[in-house]
Amino acid sequence: MQKDTAKTGGFTNRLFQIKKTGAIVIGKALIAFTRLLGRGGTTLPGRMAIRIKPDLSELLAGQLLKGVLVVTGTNGKTTTSALIKNILKAAGYSCIHNQSGSNMSWGVASALVDAASVGGTITADWALMEADEGAFPKIVQDIRPLGIVVTNIFRDQLDRYGEIDRIQDAIGRGLQVQAAGGFQVVNADDPSLVSLDGLQGKQRLTYGLEIELIEDSFQNTGRDLKTCPLCKKELTYERVYFAHLGHYHCPTCDFRRPRPDVRLTGLTIKADGSSLLTIKTVDKQININSPLPGIYNYYNLLAALTCAVALNIPEATVVKTLEIANPSFGRMESFTVKEKELVIALIKNPVGANEVLRTILNRAEKATLLVAINDKIADGTDVSWLWDVDFEQLATRSEQLTATFAAGLRAWDMAVRFKYAGLDQQQILVEENSGTALHRALQATPPGGKLYILPTYTAMLEIRRHLNRMGYGRPYWEDR
Amino acid sequence: MSRQINIYHLYPSQLNLYGDRGNMLAISRRARWRNIELQIIPIEPGDQINFDRCDLLFMGGGQDSDQLLVAADLKKRQAEMRQAVEIGMPVFAVCGSFQLLGNHYTAVSGEKISGLEILDLYTEAGDKRLIGNAVISCPLWQPAQTLVGFENHAGKTYLGPGLKPLGTVLYGFGNNGQDKKEGAVYKNVIGTYLHGSLLPKNPWLTDYLLTKALEYRGQDSTLEKLDDSTETEAHRAAVYLARSWRHRMRSSRA
Repeated sequence: MQKDTAKTGGFTNRLFQIKKTGAIVIGKALIAFTRLLGRGGTTLPGRMAIRIKPDLSELLAGQLLKGVLVVTGTNGKTTTSALIKNILKAAGYSCIHNQSGSNMSWGVASALVDAASVGGTITADWALMEADEGAFPKIVQDIRPLGIVVTNIFRDQLDRYGEIDRIQDAIGRGLQVQAAGGFQVVNADDPSLVSLDGLQGKQRLTYGLEIELIEDSFQNTGRDLKTCPLCKKELTYERVYFAHLGHYHCPTCDFRRPRPDVRLTGLTIKADGSSLLTIKTVDKQININSPLPGIYNYYNLLAALTCAVALNIPEATVVKTLEIANPSFGRMESFTVKEKELVIALIKNPVGANEVLRTILNRAEKATLLVAINDKIADGTDVSWLWDVDFEQLATRSEQLTATFAAGLRAWDMAVRFKYAGLDQQQILVEENSGTALHRALQATPPGGKLYILPTYTAMLEIRRHLNRMGYGRPYWEDR
Repeated sequence: MSRQINIYHLYPSQLNLYGDRGNMLAISRRARWRNIELQIIPIEPGDQINFDRCDLLFMGGGQDSDQLLVAADLKKRQAEMRQAVEIGMPVFAVCGSFQLLGNHYTAVSGEKISGLEILDLYTEAGDKRLIGNAVISCPLWQPAQTLVGFENHAGKTYLGPGLKPLGTVLYGFGNNGQDKKEGAVYKNVIGTYLHGSLLPKNPWLTDYLLTKALEYRGQDSTLEKLDDSTETEAHRAAVYLARSWRHRMRSSRA
């Protein structure tokens, strides 16, 4: 609306210009200021800028030469968008990206303000934005993406969105409001996504796994969505890859998994932990040697590849990029600190946390464990989900643990969780301050040893700030 | 001879939101630490239930779509279940199941879904979700003990005149955000909106349920004391958080 008044010129036009410039200048100043304080400047600047100029994101995103891509879903957003970004860069495009998981509407605004000139011009080819599921409809409306990638829907931060049904609604609404002419990339193995409409005038490509079932030793990767999204009767699964992702059909109505456009048909795990993947697209077969471990990463890789297919990026460029992919920010990232290897893996919901624990325990080596749980808004204020994570796996392998720390605002909840998982109460070390916990955990780790840190989102930011201060790791807002 | 308890876990694959697994873990660990043999029997929709063998019925919370499925199935066992409750069968129901035990639930559309009529209460769909940490003062003990948990519900529940609440709200919203009542207690039935999970951080409530289950089966119900230092610290820390300015500023944002 303000866009139209701007065109009428005169006083309103000048006022409009002042507001826009003001919003950008203040946003930029706040970014610089928060970075001086050792923070990323990914929340507050955007919040202030959109308060001054609510349609700022729309104005800035409209200038991109090629367009906007949005990635949403519960798990895998960050890895998937990092892969897409690398593909775009390898294909010779410039790309703006909201790094470090700041994926609410103000995070998107912060990234755009950061990339814009003071005068409000942006000269990049693409903007690639991660969107939180709840913020997704608003973000789609604001920045009008050409392409949308939806990874999956799991139980995550229920306090923020109420139940899974509501997350599904939000994603459906976002797909609806996407403008005609765009494309959507959707996980075919997730029944809750396949059933969403919102296709009018848009193209939808799906991806999925078609490999032999891998045995799942984790008992509690419970299926969140067991009922048919159309008729509400129970679904039958021929294969479950994890949680509710798999090959399903409804015995009552006609609903069934569609045949994906992009399919993972072959998998060989090699001795060095990398995976040789055979992927079939509509018209060809591609082989990729991927360094990323775990089923969830196969899904992330397929999502990125399918998006690249939709964008007509040459196959050789895509394959080359995917073969050198690094784990994304906070997802199994490692540092060497005083001859000790420190691995940080973000946890935020049962499915993701189980995957992390599985990967750690499979490495079968002695290590210190630090789990840091905060309950701020970005972490999810309800810590119930800790009880759905299979920490019981740790008790059966307790000889692998040199020391176990519970940290964060909810350190004591985590300590109780460890205790009821079967760990010895005396061996659980509790330290509410994440920074102090980091130091104690480092001390407890012998030289040459390993320290695994499993933090929630804001606990991860705290721990990274401490590491930065100690001189390790790059500040997280720096491009990698 | 060691003591034995059978817990019937109702519809674990449908009613399993909000860390209900934590409640089951708390009960089974605390029983095992006292050498009480505890069996958890999962009940799936359509299963035959023999309430005679059930010493504690556990009902969790579900997402809206699953809840309807469950309500229809449970309605078939209404008579037997009411009979068992009248003779003192302990029941622990959280969130959606708590609503289900009442007389009816009125949806936003005005549609009335009838409940099991075990607790004299009804629930209306609210326009705003009540979300956040909550602390209540619970008179099941003398003196009253606090219970701390997390609530997240759109439904507003109102108790009939004769029905006692589980506790009085100190921090948080409770059944409806108005009358300061949280949950309900009738005979040995406890219904509540609190999860978090509720039982691990409130070990005295877990022990209360264990005691009631042992009594119901006619067994010695004395429970030896355990070292609850970790649980007590977690309880204290959670109460502190619920009272904090930081938390009260942001409860119920949905």
